[in-house]
Amino acid sequence: MNGLARLAAWARERWISIAALAVILGAWEVAGHLSPTSALRQSPIVPPWEFVFGPSLLGMSDYWTFNFWAPRPAAGGAQTYLGAVLAIVYHSALTLWRLALGLVVGTLLGVGLGLAFSWSHVLRRLVSSPLHILRMFPLLAMVPLFQFWFGANTTGAVTFVAYGVGVVYFAATINAVSNVPNRYIEFARTLGASRLRIYLTVILPAIVPELSASVLLTLGLAWSTVIGAEYIGLESGMGRIIIFAQYFSNTGRMTLATLLIIVYAGVSFLLFRRLAARMLSWMPPTAFTETARVVPSASIKS
Amino acid sequence: MSSADRSIHIHDAWCVFEHVSGRRVEALRGVSLDIPPGQFVCIVGRSGHGKSTLLRALGGLNPLSAGEIRAAGEVVQGPAAERGMVFQDDTVFPWMRVRANVEFGLKAKGMAADERGRLADRWLEQVGLDEFADSWPRELSGGMRKRVALATVFATGADILLMDEPFGSLDYVTRLSLHGLLLDLWRRTGHTIVFVTHDVEEALILADRILVMKDGGVADDIPVGLARPRDEEVRALPEAVEIIRTIIHHLGLESAATDEPPPVQPRVDEP
Repeated sequence: MNGLARLAAWARERWISIAALAVILGAWEVAGHLSPTSALRQSPIVPPWEFVFGPSLLGMSDYWTFNFWAPRPAAGGAQTYLGAVLAIVYHSALTLWRLALGLVVGTLLGVGLGLAFSWSHVLRRLVSSPLHILRMFPLLAMVPLFQFWFGANTTGAVTFVAYGVGVVYFAATINAVSNVPNRYIEFARTLGASRLRIYLTVILPAIVPELSASVLLTLGLAWSTVIGAEYIGLESGMGRIIIFAQYFSNTGRMTLATLLIIVYAGVSFLLFRRLAARMLSWMPPTAFTETARVVPSASIKS
Repeated sequence: MSSADRSIHIHDAWCVFEHVSGRRVEALRGVSLDIPPGQFVCIVGRSGHGKSTLLRALGGLNPLSAGEIRAAGEVVQGPAAERGMVFQDDTVFPWMRVRANVEFGLKAKGMAADERGRLADRWLEQVGLDEFADSWPRELSGGMRKRVALATVFATGADILLMDEPFGSLDYVTRLSLHGLLLDLWRRTGHTIVFVTHDVEEALILADRILVMKDGGVADDIPVGLARPRDEEVRALPEAVEIIRTIIHHLGLESAATDEPPPVQPRVDEP
């Protein structure tokens, strides 16, 4: 199949989803033209798309804070599309870096501590009630505390993301370990495996499917926490851009930054799905992996 | 492969569980038993009468409340590779390919990779799965996964095989072919096999000796002198009919009214 035919087949398969998306985008555009304009900066309350990808995109160059490659509007330079793209790349990279670092640190710490505390019944009981309390904490309300402790900088943001992600993994790991079927552990014991070997070669792979459900949860959480941390104290990143835009009721810029975050989050979900499919190739297909469909009678005899 | 003493000696073994509810279950009540090396013993009995508890105690998975079990010359104090177990549940690790499964016990022993691979391939050939060494377990049928479990236990070098209704969940034809395989492997290795089943016909095909368990004790100890090789028609022989009659008498169809729920197999923690 060539590229065009494949695209057509994909469109046929997904036309309902595509149509739904088109309706939402269209409704937004209509709402943009019907809604009043903010008196403050002549920016529409619901910005139409040509506004978002026109003046708002150009305005992103305001966030370019270096004196090279593109003029700096803050120092009297002109707004340029080059500056806008540079600014978006710069702030996106910062946010993604904080997110990725926080995710990795949080995952490793959460799973590692979860495994360590699952080792004995005493330890598991020791953490069971503090853990429940920990999970009740209103995460975003703790941003100021984290910034007070770790600084209103990248370290603070990374620590905060790692904390949010780590708590989820810690709880999920303890739960997943206790769900590993006993028969695997007993079989490994009768084959002469030591406790450490059972932990590394039986329990660890056995909990991956259950943990992979938490990955989707924590990816979403990581995006909320990193943007949350940037809202409140940091001087850079996509979250900061949204807050600046809010100071000036700049709905177009808010929309644009939000759209970008949606795209990044979507891409990170897709990447993870790829990774998970590779790591879990031993799993039997689940209800969500489409492997076959019933052929309608019309196309049987052909 | 150590060819140590393959005999089993059980002396006055008691196993008493106390459930959280306070209910006490005497799963084993003073079992004493000697199994000579190389014997194929089947344990029959109804659910909840101590078959599995005895087997798990032999495997070292259930500690005894009192008494002693000696296997391969040593007092059983926990699981060991010398006493291999095959369970009714599917225990093949789904996250490892077939060959890695067979190598699992050898790896735990610290055997070098190339030697391990050779041994695994040899045992996979013995169970007729040499073509599936690189498959995932999910790509195999239930019967084939049982073959993987057998290859794993045999490759690990267990001298004593403990099998807890291993073929209970398989279809009739698959079960018969696995009986043939197991008897073949048994003849060639000379292992001692203790095989729990609730299927009297299966016991007649496999066993040198049938133990009937009732209320946590051995109600009867029946030698099976039927000529080998045997097949599923063995049950029609007069001697077999006599054995079946004896077993049914012990299991007591007339006492079926006193059906008790089986004791829940507790999860016993490692110290």
